[in-house]
Order: sequence, then structure tokens, then C-alpha cells
Amino acid sequence: MEKKLIVKDLRISFKTVNGKVQAVRGISFDLNKGETLAIVGESGSGKSVTSRAILGILAGNAIVEGGEIIYDGKDLLKISEDDFHSIRGDKIAMIFQDPLSSLNPIMRIGQQLTEAMLLKNRANKSESKRKFKLSMELLLNNMNAATAQEGHDKAVINAKRIKDFQDFEYVHIEHEQKYNAAYSEAQNSLEDINNLLFEIEKNAVKDIIKSCAEITQEASRVFNRFVVEEGKTDLKEKINVLKNAAKDAKKLKNNSGCVEILKDIKVILDQAVARPKPNFFSLGYYLKFVNPEIPATEDTEEINRMTRKLLDEKFMLEFISEAQKGIQHSFDVSIENKKKAIEVLKDKRSSFEHIVQPMKFYMQVAREMTIAVEKGINRLELIKDSNSYVFGSNLRSAINYYYVRMRKNIAEASRFKKQTEKHNKLTAKGKTPDWTIVPADIIDLDDARDNILKIIDNLIAHNEQKILNEGNFDSYQGTIDLIDFFKEKASGSVYTVTPKMAKQTAIKLMEEVGIPEPRKRYKQYPFEFSGGMRQRIVIAIALAANPDILICDEPTTALDVTIQSQILELINNLKIERKLSVIFITHDLGVVANMADRIAVMYAGKIVEYGTAMEVFYGPRHPYTWALLSSMPDLDTKEKLEAIPGTPPNMIYPPKGDAFAQRNKYALNVDFEEEPPMFKITDTHYAATWLLHPDAPKLDIPKVITDRIARMKERGDMDDAKQ
Amino acid sequence: MQNNKEVILKVEHLCQYFKMGPTYELKAVDDFNIELGKGEVFGLVGESGCGKTTTGRTIIKLYDATSGNVYYKGQRIVAGIRSYKDKIKSEKKRVEDEIEKLREEEKLGDSGAKEKIKTLKHELSKEIAAQKENIKLAKIDQKKCDKIYSAKLVSQLKAELKEKREQTSNQEEIEKLEKDYALKIQIAKKERLVNEIQMIFQDPIASLDPRMTVREIIAEGLIIKGIKDKEYIDERVCEALEKVGLVREHANRYPHEFSGGQRQRIGVARSVIMNPSVIIADEPVSALDVSIQAQVINLLNEVRNELGLTIMFIAHDLSVIKYFSDRIGVMYFGKLVELATSDELFAHPLHPYTRSLLSAIPLPDPVYEKKRKRIVYNPIAEHDYSKEQPSMREITEGHFIMCNTEEFNKYKKQLEAEKK
Repeated sequence: MEKKLIVKDLRISFKTVNGKVQAVRGISFDLNKGETLAIVGESGSGKSVTSRAILGILAGNAIVEGGEIIYDGKDLLKISEDDFHSIRGDKIAMIFQDPLSSLNPIMRIGQQLTEAMLLKNRANKSESKRKFKLSMELLLNNMNAATAQEGHDKAVINAKRIKDFQDFEYVHIEHEQKYNAAYSEAQNSLEDINNLLFEIEKNAVKDIIKSCAEITQEASRVFNRFVVEEGKTDLKEKINVLKNAAKDAKKLKNNSGCVEILKDIKVILDQAVARPKPNFFSLGYYLKFVNPEIPATEDTEEINRMTRKLLDEKFMLEFISEAQKGIQHSFDVSIENKKKAIEVLKDKRSSFEHIVQPMKFYMQVAREMTIAVEKGINRLELIKDSNSYVFGSNLRSAINYYYVRMRKNIAEASRFKKQTEKHNKLTAKGKTPDWTIVPADIIDLDDARDNILKIIDNLIAHNEQKILNEGNFDSYQGTIDLIDFFKEKASGSVYTVTPKMAKQTAIKLMEEVGIPEPRKRYKQYPFEFSGGMRQRIVIAIALAANPDILICDEPTTALDVTIQSQILELINNLKIERKLSVIFITHDLGVVANMADRIAVMYAGKIVEYGTAMEVFYGPRHPYTWALLSSMPDLDTKEKLEAIPGTPPNMIYPPKGDAFAQRNKYALNVDFEEEPPMFKITDTHYAATWLLHPDAPKLDIPKVITDRIARMKERGDMDDAKQ
Repeated sequence: MQNNKEVILKVEHLCQYFKMGPTYELKAVDDFNIELGKGEVFGLVGESGCGKTTTGRTIIKLYDATSGNVYYKGQRIVAGIRSYKDKIKSEKKRVEDEIEKLREEEKLGDSGAKEKIKTLKHELSKEIAAQKENIKLAKIDQKKCDKIYSAKLVSQLKAELKEKREQTSNQEEIEKLEKDYALKIQIAKKERLVNEIQMIFQDPIASLDPRMTVREIIAEGLIIKGIKDKEYIDERVCEALEKVGLVREHANRYPHEFSGGQRQRIGVARSVIMNPSVIIADEPVSALDVSIQAQVINLLNEVRNELGLTIMFIAHDLSVIKYFSDRIGVMYFGKLVELATSDELFAHPLHPYTRSLLSAIPLPDPVYEKKRKRIVYNPIAEHDYSKEQPSMREITEGHFIMCNTEEFNKYKKQLEAEKK
């Protein structure tokens, strides 16, 4: 199965006045496409921090101490804020816990829904333009370098090719945009007609003749553009029909005529919308270099075939073969440079093993390494080689982090000294003070140095991998990908989302999430919505950008059963329809059973049990999972609930050994001494508890849970029997 | 209902309407009837906005009821006047219509009509006077039920004192007695009947004043009651803290120093210190983590067993309600639609709304969950009340359901079929 998101050994802390709170302490999981992963745990177990790290919205005092979050080949912890803009909201969206506080009370719902669409479009436009131009230049340079021995003439030809490509690409995009806009307008007016017909049927329209005239006029305008863009002549007659219809509608005296006209328009528009889409890429070339008039054929297929052939013969095949050379050249150079970079990295790595010099020296070394690494980047690669890109800034910040510890903080040091003295005095008297010493600094030097070395090692491994894959490089495929990339960027730089289009999308979304009368609701304020409806709006906003991954942070905790079940159904349906991957964060195990394919149980910043929903519910192995399951009543519970005693530990001083040991009645002696590793139970089921060690005493699952599982199985059998 | 038990709280035709604009009224609670026996836990469920919380708040007099009565230990504590006013209005209209008819008859030459009109008018004025008397009584009860109760207490104490005085002749003892009773009477004067009904609020964070220490929060009720003895208050506060599983040292801390579960414990301590006999718990666990929910539910169970409390438990989590309550009432848009013991309700839900509610409960069982089908409740499609309005009917012993005759027969057949 395709892995959408991989989290490896993530460690996050928060700097506070009392010391360092270790919120997440090395968790790893992955998320497959179209799957729901539930993260379960008490509040303060680090669930939300994990999800916020994925989305890059950690609080200001957060320190990412290590780990990787890999999405789409990029490490989200290390990419720049600018790059994150294209991922956050677009690719990874989040539904927040509290629908009251995550909506803006003084903005209308519609505005809030469309805000992101409009802003994103504006940002995307300038970004696409820049990238398009830059990559065009890079390609030209590489093409010239590849054919350097063929002389100056070749370079001129190359430049002309690139120029031609750019020119007709813009023509293509322009036409395609116009077509698409007209197409969606045609669909909208079809919808309008349908609505009007429906309303007429219900006798809900006051002035049928007027609205009919308006719609007819609008339809004829839209149709006019639509047809012209497509270049059909036969349909032009129909425009006249429509125009006449509009005039007729104004003259009409009774309503029955209107319905006739509307139905006629509907038929015409339906036909137009159903026609095949022309190939605008080849049509663009034709329009630019052959004939600025659209060929007057009726058959779209025919136009497509003709223009395609023309394009291939006159331009495309040559262009591809030339571009291929350039791409191959760029790749070869980058591999050469990578090999050199590895040497530099390996050479300089040793100086970080024992850090003795002042910071300036290491910064200089880091700079040299960065230059070497950046030379090795194949800039024509479409998916960014993010590891190499961020290597420099990463390394420098890691070195800086190391030296923060070295700076003398006199006030802090004297406080620490005083506190230790006081503590020692008290303990000498035989008292045990109820407070603990706040550590003088929050950075572990060995850890910080390891981080530096890890960054270098990672990059060496990364580059070696690339060199190993050298033979597999297919320059033809690379060229096709590159052309697709150009097309995408060109369309991005032209594509405009108008407020009208955004509104249409927003209303469709509102319908999708089950809000009745979206057109009316669009203009309302959040306070006019009930809790469930507000949560739906939040979901609609999250879905507005069509994300890959949806993070739901306790989306139903504030809602009651009926609404909760509606919202869960909605998320489940959307997941199937849009093939979303969902990370579902909650403390309610009942909710999880409905949603999750896999479950990760978190406690004190660590995953303590990890498995499929069936495994966790029918064969839980960790005492914390037992405690969670037995602390919630189900419909047959009669006996006293087994609450988990106490509260989660203070993560400034994480307890030694198993963090759950103090609240665990099944704790072994070893739990207080040493941290349990993850024990494998099946291929998909893991749990971190010493109880699974072969030497551990045999312990049965508590009776409450076995009883419950027995009941569940019984119920399942009964249901099967019924069917 | 549980006849063998002493009825401690009785709610009759309770209505609470809110004005929404000049003409429209929101019927938050409409004709709510319930009798709570001593030591019983009554669970009230329904979706948000159906009037559960309003019911609780009206009973404890946080709102003035529109109409209907609430009796606590036989004393009326809540009395609305709308129903009497409506009666006067309808009566007036009826009589006026009749008089109109009679007048026309008189014109036609019916001699007896005049006489009839006179008697009608007389009856009307009598009726109005009776209703006005009702209104007056209701107003007195609504405003002064506490004072009536404390006056009763004071007079009782005075009588006791008199009795004891007559028994002894020792001057010193008499002085001591008088001193004792002076304090008791002082407390009794401030004794409020409604104090015996206490509320636990939903949000443990918002319901505690962040600028008061836990001691001040818990003792506030006692201080308002007029107790000035600091040692006595401290003693009671510590007692209450220990009762809810906190320790004495916590008294001097501020609410923000506690976790969610501990805060809810403070909320419980605050209501327990007033020695209540009825507690209205308004979603006490909805805002808490699962593990802490269990702690609070266990705590409520202990307190209830220890003090013999009657609890009205308002929640939307059906598993918790099922676990905790003896009887359950299901509310839908201000009306009680089904009322039964909790086992009966979950085994044989009859009203379509109850069925839809039960079908929405999530359970920690993936196999069951994947199969679970939510039933959608649409009142317009389910009921046809054009011929006959529904009313509360008893279908089996202790199982009430809101329906009309046609539906009643249908449900009865359904129940019989299910029981087979």
C-alpha cells in the first residue's frame, strides 16, 4: 500500500520557566493512503502536539529535538516556511477541536469558506510564474551546455525553441482557461434552469416571465462564448435561437411558454456540455504559428488529430530530443558533484565528533559543506531534493543550538546554585522537599552533537542512494515530466479564481457536508449555526483545498451523540469518496471503533500500543489500554468503574522506566527501572510493556475486559445468526 | 412510578418559554412531569438544545418558570402563573361568545336569555376571582417559599426551646440552652429550602472563579447562609474535600492548579457542603477525559450512597446514563417523549426518537461499529397528529410514552412481539 506519511522517531519539547517539558518522546508511525489512523490517549499525552508538528503550527516555545515527518518525499520538519505554505491547508488539512473558537465570529460563513481559495490562488499565481521562468532558463542553460561543442548556432536554435515553446504554451493556457470558465458557467446556468423549473413546478416563483428572460439572456451569452471558444460554426445558429427565445420570453404573457423555452435551452446546453474537450496544447501551437483562426470543422476529434500531428512533426519531437540531452547533462553533472560532496562531507564530519573549537570555526566548516552539497543538486528535478536544499540551514541551526548551552547565563546559574544548596540542606536534615530543582539548562550536549552528526550522516546516505540509482535514470520520462511540470506551472500562473467561482465551490462543499439551504446559509454568521452545523462548516473549510491528509483533532468531543454520529458518518463518507487519509485524534474509544483502521495508543509522549482496530479492541496487551477500556462504561456495565488512579506524570521530569508504572496496578519491578521496548505480537500489532517479555510472569487480561470481549463476540455471533 | 418510595421532588406541567422577538416564543420546556423518589437517580437525555439544562435550571429557580409547579418535600417551590392567566383569557372568550349568541336570541324574542346572561356573567366573575386567587398564591410561593419554610423552622425551634425550658429549673442550664438555640434560630432564619437542591455545573473550568481559593469557593454557600464561625467553616470545608477525595492542603490553592477531574471534584464538594438532598448534575462528565470521567462517576456514586442523595443526572452520553441512572427520561424539543427504568428503556425502546438516539451510541467494538446503522428520526414522517394530539401514556408498569391512541396500540403490539 502507498504510504502517505511517515513519522520517524519524533521528539518535541517545550521550553517553559520551570524547565523543559518533553511532550513527545520518540514516536514513529506511518499512514497509508485511504486509511484512518486513530491516536488515542488522555489529555497531555502529546496527541495534539504530534498533529500540530505535522501541520507545522507548533507553539513558539516548541523545540523539535529530532525525528522526521516525511510527506511526498519531503521532511516537513525541515522545509522552509515558504514551502510549507503550499502544503499546509492544501495537502494536509486539519479539523480543530472546538468549532466555536475556530471560526471567526465577525465574518460571514461564505467569506470564511472562500477566503483561503482566493488567497491561495493569488499566491499560487506569482509563485507559478516565477518557477516557470526559472525552470525554462535552467533547461536552456543545460541544453546549451550539453551541446557546447556544436557551437554558437546551436545555442541560438535552442533559445528559439525555448522561446517558441513558451509562446504557444501561453496561448494554449489562455484558451483552455477561457474554455474552462465558459464550461463551468454553462454548467451553472444549467443548474439555474433546473432550479427555476423545479420552483415553477412548486409554484414558488412570483415573476416567472422575468426570471425566464434573465436566464435565457444569460444562457445565450454563456453559450456564445462557449461555442466560439470551441470553434464550431453549426452551433452559431443555435445562439440566434437563444437570442430570439430571450426576446420571446419578454413578450410572453402566460407562464407555460416559459417552461417550453427553458426546456429548449436546457437541451442545447446539455448537448454543448457533453461535447469532447479539444486538445488545447496542440491547438495552441496551431493558433500561434499556423493560423490564428480556429479551424472550421465541426468534429472536435478531427481538430485534435490534425493539430496534434502538426505539432509533433514540426516541433515537439525535436524539442523533446533536444531537451532530453539537456536533462541528461544536468543529471550527469549533479551525480558528479554529489560524489564530490560525499567526499567533503565524510572529510569534515570528523571535526564534529569532538567539538572543541569556537563556534565561528564550525560555522565556516558548515558553510563549506553547504556549498559542496548545493552544487550536487539537480535543479531540473521536479520533486525537490529537500534534504539537500535544507541541509545548510539545518546544520547551522543545529550548531547554533549546541552553542546556546555554552553561553553563560549568570542569573540562571546562580539560581540553580542556590536551589541546589537549599535542596541539599533540606535533605541533610532528613526532610524530603515537595519541590524539585529546576535544571539550569535544558539542552543535553551529547544529544545536540548527535543531532549535528545525524544531519550529516543522513545526507551522506541520501546522496549515496541517489548515486546507486544512477543507472535507472530515464531521460525521456524526465522530459515528459518536465513538460507536464511546465504546463502545470503555466496554467497556475494564468488560472484565476474569481469570487464568483469561489462561491460556487463553497456552496457545493456546503451541500457535500450536509448543510441544508446552502445559498441562504452562505450569507449567515457563525452564531446563527448550531454546534453540529458549525463543526460541518469547519470540515467544509478543511476540505476546500481538496487535501490528501485530513487531521481531525477531537472533532466530536463537544457534540452530542446524534450529531457526533452524523459527523463521523460524514467524515467516513468523505474519506471513501475522496480517498483521504485521516489521522483521528480522540480520547473516546467508542468513537475510534467506528472510524479507525489502525490505532495508536499514546501515553506520556510515547506510543505504548499500536495495531489494527480488531487487534487493539479484541486483544489489548498494554495495561494502559486495559485501563482506558475498563474506565468507560458500556451498555452492560454494572460493576464499579475502574478509574485510572492519579494523573499523567509531569513531563518536565519524565519518570524513570515505564511512564505508566506509577498508575499501573500490574507494574513489575523492572517497570520502575528500565523502559520497555516495543514487543512485536503480530506483524501489525506492537506493545511496549515488560509483560510481554518471555521472562515476565504470566498475567491474564483483566476480567472486565475479557467479559466485554466475550459479550462483543456473542453479539457478533447473534448478528451473524440473524443474517 | 415508584410508589413505595417517598416522593421528594415532584414536577407538574412545568413550562419554560423564552421570548424571541415580539410575537415568537421558544418553548424550551413544555409540559414536563416527573416524580423523583428518595435516593433515586433520574437520567435525562436528549440532544443539545432540547431543554435538558433549562429543565434543571428552572427546577432550581435559576429561571422563573412560565407555568407549572415544582414541589419539594410537599412545599411548592416553583410556581408559574401563565396557565392561570390563559385560563382566565379562554374563559372570558368562551363566555363572551356565548353571551353574543344569547343576545341574538334575545333579539329574536327569547325571554329567558337575559337571565342566562346574568348567570353566565356571575359564573365568569367567580371563575376569574378563583384564578386570581391561584395567581396570588403562586406568586407568594414563588417568591417566599424559602421564608415560609424558615419561619416554619424558627417557630418549631422556639417551641422546642419553650418545652425544654419548662423541663429544667436550673438557671445556668437555661442560659446555656438559650445561647444554643439563639445560634440555631439564627441559622434557621437564613435556612433556605432551595439550598437543599444543589447543582453541579457542566464546565469545571468556567464554573469556578479563578480569583477565589478552593476554600472560598466551597465555603461561599455557608457564608451566604450567614455562618460566621471560621473554625466551623474550615471544618466543614475539609470534611467536604475529604468526601470528594481531595486533601486538606488543597483548600488554599487556586482552581488553575488542578486538573480537570479535580476541578469537577471541587464542584461536587461545593454542592455537597450544603447538605443537599437533591443534586441536579448538569453534564458533569461531558467535558472530561475518559479516565477522569470514570473517577467522577465513581465519586458521584459514592457520595450518593453515603448521603442518600437523589440525583437528576443530565447528560448526552447514553452509556454513562445507562450505567448511572435508575430511571431515564428522553427529551425531544422540550417534551418528554419516553420515560422508563433504564433496563427497560434500553431493552425495549418504543418511541422512534429513542430508537434513533440508541442507534447512535458508539461502542468500543469495531465489528459492531462497522455494521451499526443509524436510524434517522423525522417527526413529520413518523407521527400523524392531525386527528389526535399525543399525551403521556403508561404502556407497561413504569414505562411511559408520548403517543396518541393509534400509536399506543401500535407500540403495544410491537412490545408484545419483542417480548416473545
